[in-house]
Amino acid sequence: MEQKLATPSEAISLVNDGDIVALQNMATQAAPMALVRELIRQQKRDLGLVVLVGGIAVDWLAATGVINRLIGAAVTMEQFGLCQQYRKAVEQGRVRVEELSESLLNARLGAGARNLPFLPSRGAIGTDLIDQNPQNLLMLDDPFGGKPVVACRALVPDVALIHAHRSDRFGNIQYDPTAMWPDIAIMPKAAKRVIVSAEEIVDSETLRHHPEKTILPGFMVDAVVEIPFGAHPTSFYPLYSYDSRFHLEWAAAARDDAMAMVLLERYVLGPENQQQYLDLAGGAATIDRLRIRGADR
Amino acid sequence: MSPEWCDSPTAKDYSIDELIVATLADCFKDGEQACNGMASFIPVAALMLARATHAPGLVWIASSVGLEPRPDRIPASTLEAPLWRDSIMYVDQYTDFWNFVLNGRWITKFCVGAAQLDQHGNANNSVIGEDFHRPRVRLPGTAGLADMCSIDKDLYYWNPDHTPRSLVEKVDFISGAGYLDGGDSRAQLGLGGGPQLVITNLAVLDFHPQSKRMRLKSVHPGVTVEQVQDATGFELLMAEDPIPETLAPTCEQVRLIREVIDPDGMRKRGFR
Repeated sequence: MEQKLATPSEAISLVNDGDIVALQNMATQAAPMALVRELIRQQKRDLGLVVLVGGIAVDWLAATGVINRLIGAAVTMEQFGLCQQYRKAVEQGRVRVEELSESLLNARLGAGARNLPFLPSRGAIGTDLIDQNPQNLLMLDDPFGGKPVVACRALVPDVALIHAHRSDRFGNIQYDPTAMWPDIAIMPKAAKRVIVSAEEIVDSETLRHHPEKTILPGFMVDAVVEIPFGAHPTSFYPLYSYDSRFHLEWAAAARDDAMAMVLLERYVLGPENQQQYLDLAGGAATIDRLRIRGADR
Repeated sequence: MSPEWCDSPTAKDYSIDELIVATLADCFKDGEQACNGMASFIPVAALMLARATHAPGLVWIASSVGLEPRPDRIPASTLEAPLWRDSIMYVDQYTDFWNFVLNGRWITKFCVGAAQLDQHGNANNSVIGEDFHRPRVRLPGTAGLADMCSIDKDLYYWNPDHTPRSLVEKVDFISGAGYLDGGDSRAQLGLGGGPQLVITNLAVLDFHPQSKRMRLKSVHPGVTVEQVQDATGFELLMAEDPIPETLAPTCEQVRLIREVIDPDGMRKRGFR
């Protein structure tokens, strides 16, 4: 089998300017944040982002001018509020939004994964999302005589960025029992290239003890990077919770461009590796504070 | 299940969030299924209250992930652990959850929060302003709302801040389909279900059976019809004359909400 191990820099060099990048992320959960920081460090430009519910990652990518369009269902940090840098970028016309409901996004990616021209959904009929997006959504009569459906045009991202619990060096990816949002299920199967950050790289023998946890075969994966705490400051169950302090610090700064840039310099552009980043975010004390124990594991 | 809940007297000491939670809890029955989305403290409190009182067999999928969870209280996020603590099943989203929801046999009701709601029950969480691509305010986005509103579900809106800005004649953007232009315009698109109740910090509203225009159904204790009309961005129809008062929660409902379900007061977020 082909080895897929890479450094963050090598892995993100697979992303080209202008690419459509599918990003795993559910508000304050499960974003491959170390890969996102590397996108910014490499000064990628004109990326289109596909995201289910984007959080702080989208705010960072909008603030640094990495993305100029977004295909997704929502962008919010939930309890930490709207993503203010993203919001400003959209309101000023620097980021163009294709808004889809969750079932429409799932259908577009599902069609991409199966090499179909489109998949239908019954979601969002009657909303302005459909009139707003005639390139990708069209009402279609049921050829079998039932109720009309929405045809959702196939979406094939150039790259998918995923975070997982473990991988072997061949890119066989395992995910521990927790919430499985639609993005982890379908984005890597629809995208042309797949980059995964994993909490740990293990021997293939370890994967064989729990084959039911393996969610992606190595042949679908182009690069895998070992990044412990790689989803911080988002949560990654059942290992660690979201970092409230970090989110609050960002949410307060993000209303002001200069203050936002100070934090981006500090946390994104400054640190040269994950360890330096984690040290800036509070080091061992933060890791200890966020680690999930007992009944919540 | 609390044995005291059915004979409990009407509470004198309660806050408006607790009245909304109790009113919304009454909308859910034993044997139904329900799920919740993000930032949904009021619906989560209502589902937990219903399960603790009249509907112990109401099936709950917390965060649309955790089947029948046992959280010890409402946490700061309704979208992630520990809300789904002790679940019987993690419902896989791409396959199972959307199968459950889109099929129509299950999860026949859904609670909706929206930045704007109009006289025909259309919801907007997308943009404020005329131009979708240069909005005055970019809101979070529809998430699963557009799906839930178009797949035959009965919809229950909650609104902690009843003002002419949140209850408008016509939404700037329909990100969740209500009765569209009113009358039979929703039915003409093949959509069943639709908005049933709107529960705000001032009143309970419903929809006229034919015109599908919003009506005032009851005013909360201490609130006048005029106050509700003044806080609404369109002319309200009246469901009956005179307009009755919304039932206050019972002492036992208030105790459960305060002491068992939400001791940290998460439900108060979003209220002025």
